[in-house]
Amino acid sequence: MNSYPQVLFKNRRPNETILLPEYEKNGGYQGLRAALKMSPAEVCGRVKESDLRGRGGAGFPTGIKWSFFPADQPGDKYLVCNGDEMEPGTYKDRQLLLADPHQLVEGMAIASYALQASIGYIFLRYAYEDCSQRVERAIAEAIAAGYLGKNILGSGFDVELHVHRSAGRYILGEETSLLNGLEGRRPNPRTKPPFPAQRGLFGRPTNVNNVETLATVPHILTNGTAWFQNLALNPQSAGTKLFGLSGHLNRTECFELPLGITLREVVEDFGGGVRAGKKFKACLPGGASTPYLTAEHLDLMMDFDPLEKVESRLGTAGVTVFDENTCMVAVTRNLNQFFARESCGWCTPCRDGLVTISWLLDRIEFGQASEDDLVMLKDQGRNIKGRSFCALAEGAMGPVEALLRLFADEIKDHIRKGCCPFK
Amino acid sequence: MSELLPQNQIDSFKAKAAAISHPHELIVDLLRAIQSHHGWVPDDGVLLTAETLGVLPIEVEELATFYDKIFRREVGKRVIHICDSICCWSTGAEMITDHLKKSIGISLGETTADGQFTLLPTCCLGACGDAPAMMIGLTTHGLLTTEKIDEILQQERAAIAAEG
Amino acid sequence: MPKLTIDNLEVTVPEGTNVLEAARELDIVIPHFCYHEALGAVGSCRLCAMMFVDGPVTGLQMACMVEAQDGMVVSSTDPDAIELREHVIEWAMTNHPHDCPVCDEGGECQLQEMTVAGGHGVRRYNGKKCTFTNQDLGPFVQQEMNRCITCYRCVRTYRDYCGGTDYGVFGSRNRIQYGRFQEGTLESPFSGNIIDACPTGVLTSKPFRFKTRLWDLQEAPSICPHCSLGCATIPGGRYREVQRVKAGINRETHGFFICDRGRFGYDHVNHQERPRQARVDGQPVAVAAALTAARERVAGMAREHGPNSIAFLGSSRASFEGSVLLRDWAAATGSQQLVYEAHQGRDHAARTLAARLGEHGRSLEDLRQSDLIVLFGADPLAEGPMLALAIRQAVRNGGKVIVIDPRPVELPCAASHLPLAMERLTDVLTALAQKDLHAFDNHEHAFLENLSEQFDSAQRPVLIGGADLLGGKGVDALCSTAAQLSSAECAVGVMTMLAGPNSYGGALLAGDGPDFDTILDAIQEGTIRALVCLESDPFREAMDPSRAQAALGHLELLVSFDATPGLAAQRADIFLPTRANAEMAGSYMNNEGRLQAFQAVIDPGLPISETGAGNHPPREFFQTTPGSAPEADWWLLAELLERDTTLAALRKTIEQSDECFVGLSAIDAESTGLRFSAQGSLPPAAEQDLLQTGVTDALKLLAITGPVGSHWLAHLSSPLAATQPKPYVVLHPEQAEKLGLSAGDRARLTTHFGHCHVVIRTDEKMVNGLILAPQLWDTALEGMVPGSMLDCQLEKEGKA
Ligand SMILES: Cc1cc2nc3c(=O)[nH]c(=O)nc-3n(C[C@H](O)[C@H](O)[C@H](O)COP(=O)(O)O)c2cc1C
Ligand code: SF4
Ligand code: FES
Repeated sequence: MNSYPQVLFKNRRPNETILLPEYEKNGGYQGLRAALKMSPAEVCGRVKESDLRGRGGAGFPTGIKWSFFPADQPGDKYLVCNGDEMEPGTYKDRQLLLADPHQLVEGMAIASYALQASIGYIFLRYAYEDCSQRVERAIAEAIAAGYLGKNILGSGFDVELHVHRSAGRYILGEETSLLNGLEGRRPNPRTKPPFPAQRGLFGRPTNVNNVETLATVPHILTNGTAWFQNLALNPQSAGTKLFGLSGHLNRTECFELPLGITLREVVEDFGGGVRAGKKFKACLPGGASTPYLTAEHLDLMMDFDPLEKVESRLGTAGVTVFDENTCMVAVTRNLNQFFARESCGWCTPCRDGLVTISWLLDRIEFGQASEDDLVMLKDQGRNIKGRSFCALAEGAMGPVEALLRLFADEIKDHIRKGCCPFK
Repeated sequence: MSELLPQNQIDSFKAKAAAISHPHELIVDLLRAIQSHHGWVPDDGVLLTAETLGVLPIEVEELATFYDKIFRREVGKRVIHICDSICCWSTGAEMITDHLKKSIGISLGETTADGQFTLLPTCCLGACGDAPAMMIGLTTHGLLTTEKIDEILQQERAAIAAEG
Repeated sequence: MPKLTIDNLEVTVPEGTNVLEAARELDIVIPHFCYHEALGAVGSCRLCAMMFVDGPVTGLQMACMVEAQDGMVVSSTDPDAIELREHVIEWAMTNHPHDCPVCDEGGECQLQEMTVAGGHGVRRYNGKKCTFTNQDLGPFVQQEMNRCITCYRCVRTYRDYCGGTDYGVFGSRNRIQYGRFQEGTLESPFSGNIIDACPTGVLTSKPFRFKTRLWDLQEAPSICPHCSLGCATIPGGRYREVQRVKAGINRETHGFFICDRGRFGYDHVNHQERPRQARVDGQPVAVAAALTAARERVAGMAREHGPNSIAFLGSSRASFEGSVLLRDWAAATGSQQLVYEAHQGRDHAARTLAARLGEHGRSLEDLRQSDLIVLFGADPLAEGPMLALAIRQAVRNGGKVIVIDPRPVELPCAASHLPLAMERLTDVLTALAQKDLHAFDNHEHAFLENLSEQFDSAQRPVLIGGADLLGGKGVDALCSTAAQLSSAECAVGVMTMLAGPNSYGGALLAGDGPDFDTILDAIQEGTIRALVCLESDPFREAMDPSRAQAALGHLELLVSFDATPGLAAQRADIFLPTRANAEMAGSYMNNEGRLQAFQAVIDPGLPISETGAGNHPPREFFQTTPGSAPEADWWLLAELLERDTTLAALRKTIEQSDECFVGLSAIDAESTGLRFSAQGSLPPAAEQDLLQTGVTDALKLLAITGPVGSHWLAHLSSPLAATQPKPYVVLHPEQAEKLGLSAGDRARLTTHFGHCHVVIRTDEKMVNGLILAPQLWDTALEGMVPGSMLDCQLEKEGKA
């Protein structure tokens, strides 16, 4: 097993949370100090230069997003950290916050400065009470040490952070739903444009970033952009990434690995190979919404662009592996049930279309389907993808499409045999 | 348990709501506070939230019914959320769920006759590395086996008995 | 103005138009559910897909969400678009019950239409359906949740547009449900709009339930007769009764919605006691005989006692055409005693407005665009509910609203409020115009100074008045203030709520004739001996009905034309039954001077529900339909004056004799109406002080218009009865305390009319020292007319 440089997990110790003194001792808050010596625009520029891409799933370049932000617009502006993390197979943000929450606090202080936003919200899902408490403690420590609050580190810049505890529902991870959720409105997504940077929380410019994205920022400021770019194995990419392994692997843990590492290395070395000596059949490379990869993809680089080339996505890099005995219709059915249940109910394709797909997958899985149902599954998918109001339903179609594309025979088998061939 | 929320907490929410220009942002917090004190949010809890924050009851109810972790019906002393998403499912969640159902004698969505447990399916808990997983109250338990479940249930029963 | 190509046709549309609307300009109807012109685009149903082939936006898009831009090339017939629309319908139908044959919406169901238009014919999904429990939403709206397709239109109408606070959307995913937090009657006075807004059969009219299948309903465009705003309505009738009303569309006035008073206030047409038989001296006669009698007796009276021994009293309820003919009859007789409103304050207000409004006139559409609205003695929810909704839209667009009123005026939007005694409203107007606020105390001074500043920065300010509280003098002050505050850059608008649908029309025709109080004096003295009442009831409507009743007793001849069972109709020597507004064509002139036409929906006749008493109609045969004698007011008068009795001919004649009404013939019932340049004359200078009180230390009672349905036509409409509160009075909490009363107490209210029992309400937002009483129907005090001030006593009878 190769050993790779650890950045986000460099302080991590099992079942412990790093407190401020240790964080500081290991170079913590140097990034903030460095940032405060620059102009906000320079900080943005640095992040842009680093090629950091959003770790929340979409992989949008963070520096570019920040550069669209109207930092010099007067009045309230907000920074929001997205810690909803509810996509099945994704648990990296929790690991990060449990291990070393000051990275997020520092990252938010820097981002707030860069964007000239003086109020930050950290949105955490219901199940992450453990994280909420740790983040709150880190915030209290940071305030006491002068890293947060008024005139931080004598810079004249003020920033306050609040933790918002949610009450369930995956849709809140969608950034505009999240803003509605924070405001205490029904968390349906909002129409874009206007984008949050124009009109976000309470109608004010708002920037939303994932936990891991923000936690990465201090390290870029401390160690420089070239260092950050060199972390990745893929020369076109930059940085490390948290990979949460799950499913039929011997080791289902969260690892910090360089972007561009091959799927094979992730599965075989870090995951310890498929359980019980079984063969690798497929995996979700980055959470429940990412189209499957199969054994033919094992030597691909796990990174944003390479996975898009094979019609999949890196997503959140939560890798869920399925062994050779797994029925992919059943997997897809489980995934689709999740999306159907988590639909916010705003738009028709998602609200009622996903239920229709679930019904079709039930029929196929239980051997009640005919060729007509397969035709119907295809036309349903075609009309949901790209037709829904937000990206939830689009994500839900990832596995469905991959099923049709990669496991057509398996579906046919179900139909022909009139039952699930794996049972 | 019959009181919705202690007066000092109500007062503190009132004060917070008065100090901010968007009191709606406190709705979920207050609903959660009522739930953690009272176990669930009855109609009166919705009304109390509305009154305390100076918002409409309908605005509170629109949120209370949206979030799956706000209970608008009475639940047991412990709510068990058993994950049925992909990682747990692929590592035996169905078997674990069956065991849970048998152990406490109810189906998903039900509350035991003695009012101790409510069993609800939940989507991914963010414990995929420790699948299969469940959450009781706000505590996540991973790497579940039938033995581990028996152990946890026993602890919870003891804790409930101790609470009186 | 962007120019785009849709289905190979070019169209140019105003900036900001969405592509769905642009297509509609070309008569290309794109199926849609969630989009509604008044509610805007939210993109939730995903039905209005179109293919953007070329231009600044490409790919399949929701047409409602895309603003039309130059150079767009859009296709509605693209196979992908068609396929998506088909699927959206299929999804919308997954939970829908198969109850079309028995569904209340059948016949006007948009889901059905869209299903056909969308091309979804075969149900492929046969999995489980979601089912829901319904709520009892009160007397107006029936809920059948299983038919819901989750378009969110009801909440967006009820909450966003109408400002209701007790209806919402619950749950998520495919378990979305709409309703109240707890079962109960919908509180908004605009609740019925969700019936129109719902594209399927979830929300239907409860009073109309099981009455008629919609394809059997006779409908025609009409104008609401319940207030002076002139909202377009579409009444529906069958079995010789009006059975429901839905909103029509007039973008210049009310827009797309109407109030519950207009929607459920149709039942006066079917009222059991409605007089349907012509009478002379108590004997039933044919209409022709009664007309002859009227013509001859009036002429006889003129010959014997001079033309001015006959007075003619029109009303705000009569059609504009009928009102013109009344004037012609008075002229033919030679009488100068012509007036169109029995209530002096309302008469003076309307005539002053018609004389002075001119360029200051504003429509409800103008109001929705206004940035500063100041209400002086105007209570829209009582006096013209749709005005309240227009004001709400102004606020939603960023406008500010200020209320100056003795009453605790409620609005469905934010407003600042200055309680001020009625007699001081005019002072404020004058002070604002002269920018001299020294006569006001600290709080008032600060409030008005702030108001004055807001005026200086406003772009489109409008002053709003109410006839009841302002009277002629007040309206005069309102118009003067508007004129003085106007500048070259910023014209200040005026809108005043009048008494009825044709108040303005009557006021224009009244000229400089006397007011009804002067006529009453003459009747009392005996110089006027005959009175002709056109759809008016001076026994009830005069400012002081007890004085009116005493004077009217001296009449030698009372002729009444009416469609309602009023006192004048009962006591008339000669009575002619008229048609109700839903039974005739005609026009009304609304409170901005806009003339709007309406059409007949049904012919008059005793409702079959009445003749059959719930069973099959009686098997007796008549030559004519029972109860079908009523004729349009203008028809009767044309017949009486021996004129051509077609509406077209009548309108031509009006155009020929009054050139300011040229264009009248061209107005059709589906247009937005026409504002004429006609200007009225000011009323006689002498105006009674509204304070008709002898005793200075007596308690003062101000009679006001109450919420939905407190006036005559509404009072006669049974569906509205359910919303009528028990008789009550409102006073300031401090005054209540002084009188030893608190909210909820029962008390005995006494005026010179007698006494009745009321419930005490208190409100801090009203002036201290005044008791407010809405019309107290069916009590000894029902004679109190809104806008009059009386002495009263209030004694506690029981505790809350
Ligand atoms: C249905 C849905 C769920 C999402 N859930 C999350 C989430 O849990 N956490 C997250 O950071 N981003 C989530 N996203 C992505 C966010 O909308 C947003 O793009 C992200 O927070 C931006 O942060 P980043 O640029 O730092 O990645 C979700 C998006 C969708 C459409
Ligand atoms: S796709 Fe539509 S229904 Fe689904 S979550 Fe997004 S907005 Fe809601
Ligand atoms: S899938 Fe069960 S905890 Fe993640």
